[in-house]
Parts: sequence; structure tokens; C-alpha cells
Amino acid sequence: MKITDAAVFPYPCGDSSVRRMALEAETLGLDSLVAVDVPSGICEGIEIRSGVLLRDLPVKDVIARVRKNQDTGAVMIVNARDNGFNRAVLSLKGVHILRGIHAAEKTAFDHVTAKMAADCGVALDIDLSPLIFGRGIARQRAIHRYRDMLVFERRFEFPLTLSTGARSVLDMRATREITALCSLLGMDIPDVEKAFGGVGQVTSPPVPSVRVIP
Amino acid sequence: MSTRPPTLRENRRYVLTRVEPAGTVIDQKELYYTISDAVTSLWGDAMAAVIMAAVVAAEEGHVIVRCRRGSEKELAIALSTVTFCRNVRLALRIIAASGTIESLRERIRAGAQNAPEGTGPGEGIFNKTPCSVLYCNGQKLDVIEKGFKNTNRLFISRDDLELP
Repeated sequence: MKITDAAVFPYPCGDSSVRRMALEAETLGLDSLVAVDVPSGICEGIEIRSGVLLRDLPVKDVIARVRKNQDTGAVMIVNARDNGFNRAVLSLKGVHILRGIHAAEKTAFDHVTAKMAADCGVALDIDLSPLIFGRGIARQRAIHRYRDMLVFERRFEFPLTLSTGARSVLDMRATREITALCSLLGMDIPDVEKAFGGVGQVTSPPVPSVRVIP
Repeated sequence: MSTRPPTLRENRRYVLTRVEPAGTVIDQKELYYTISDAVTSLWGDAMAAVIMAAVVAAEEGHVIVRCRRGSEKELAIALSTVTFCRNVRLALRIIAASGTIESLRERIRAGAQNAPEGTGPGEGIFNKTPCSVLYCNGQKLDVIEKGFKNTNRLFISRDDLELP
């Protein structure tokens, strides 16, 4: 299992180069990063996985973009919106992660979408940036949404990923700090370890439960 | 008020943190207000009174924060939410917790001895933009864009910088 930060935004989105982020990730105890709009590779022993973030697009465009990037090996991340959009996206083959649940409307994620995520093997991302940068009601709302999402996760067992949404090396957090921040959401250490490996779980091809031996 | 005997004093713990980016000028009082704000915002006044966070030293790019024994975890979580100190971006990286300040100072000294040496190239080009090197630590380079405006601090590695 690789400890992965599921979304970082290197230069030009942020102020840090992907190599510097890899150096920092090594110091902070991470094994791999999903870097948005950056080609895949290995930097300083850290695996960099290319990520494509789709946001503010209608379902039709999301389908087109997912199809276009299906063979590139990139991690497809879609920003959550209303409930209908989320259901449509979760059923798409090729979508790996749905993120931004904390910022979506209250009814965006319910038991039906949770069941769909579990059936389709799409991970729900826990973006820690509202916990780190948010204050007051914004942080309280994010904690509430994530706690609500974790209730469904325990029931339906869909994959989870953890991300810092870092745009700078200053925004990145060590594994110990991430674990501590996740304790605010009621996640214990095994839950966090499982979520750290969420990206590998959703991007690796599923192992069939029945294997035909010729 | 007379000083309490040692057995009646509260047990304290000290948390050592490294301030990033390197070279950030730290005003101890400002940082105390920032940390206090982060603790109160996250845990509320009641828990902040239990944690009793205080900045006891700021030296050589490190900060030692005091708290009540048993509340180190809560303090550590609050420290990881510190992102600004008086409009200056920073991050506090927790290194260790100890019962004495002296052991943490030894840790700072040991860290300074083991730090990778190296001087930066002075200036170079990153992404077609001329930059001046502010700080160099092994492979890590902090550069600032040259120019009159939009001179942002960028965090890059040695391999990213082209020599002029």
C-alpha cells in the first residue's frame, strides 16, 4: 500500500514545482502524489501520478473528457455538484475519485450515491484543506459533511482517499498530521491507513472473484 | 505570589516545531497570538484553557510551544492548522515533544549539524523567468521572481533551475 496524497496542484496552479513537492513529500512520509495537470513519473523516489480534475462541467463534457483520458493512465477526479450530477458521474466508467463533497449542496451525497460509489468502485475524497484553512462555520460544516459521509462509508464500504489540495509545499502535511486531522472526523488509524491506499485501490484493475484457469 | 513547590506545579510539555519557509522572521508575540487563535478556533475556549499553549522560545528557525501535559495531541492538531502569521505565509512542522526545553534545544543543535550544506547558485531561470535564490537546503531552493511587480516566492528544486 502506498501512502498517497490524492490531490496536489504544482506550478503553475501553485507556487511549488512538482519536484519540490516530491522532495517535501519524502520528508513528510508520503510515497506518492496525485499531481493535477502534470505528467506521471518518479521524482526523488516519490511516484507522481498524473491527475485530471474536472470541475464546473456539464455531464456531457465530463463523459467526453473521461473517454479522452481513459487510456492515458491519469487519475480522473471530478468535483462533486448536485445529487443528479454525482449519480451520473459515479456511474461513468473511468472516473476514479469524486471530490469536494464538503462544498457541494447538503443533499449531494446520500445513501443512493454511497451505494453507487461502492458498486462502481469510485472513491470519495476527503479534502483536508477546509480543516486546515477554514475557520468557524466553514470548518464546522466541512467536519459535519465528512462525518456524515463516513457514516455511509461504514455502511456501504466505498473507497476513500485523502488529499491536502496543496498548492504549495507549505500546504502539504505529514502523515502524522493528516492522521491527527482525520481524528477530528472520527477516523481511527486503520481507517486513515486504508484511505491513504485509496488511490491505488481505485486505479488498479479489479481482481475478479472467479478466475478461469484454462 | 510565591513560587509553588515543584510537586504542586502543573506538568508541562514542550513541542518543538520548525518554521517553514526557512528564513521567516518570527515575532514570538505575534506567533503566540496566531497559535492561540488556532487553538481557540479549533477547540474552543474551554479546551484552550486546558491546553494553555504558549510560545516559550523562537530561535534558529524553530519554535518551542508549551502546553499542559496530556494535551500535546490537541496542540499538534491546532498547530497543523496554522497557515499565516500576520499576513506572512508559514507552516509549522512538528519535530518532537519533550518534558524539558533543554532536550529540545539539543535536538535543534543536532539538526543544525546534520543539515545538508550547500550554497545556491545565486540566480537562475525557472520557467523562462529570471529568479534570485533566497534560500538553499540541499536539493531544495526557494527563489524569488525578479522584477518590479508579481515577485512571488517560488519553491523549486535544483533540477528545476536553469543557470543563466
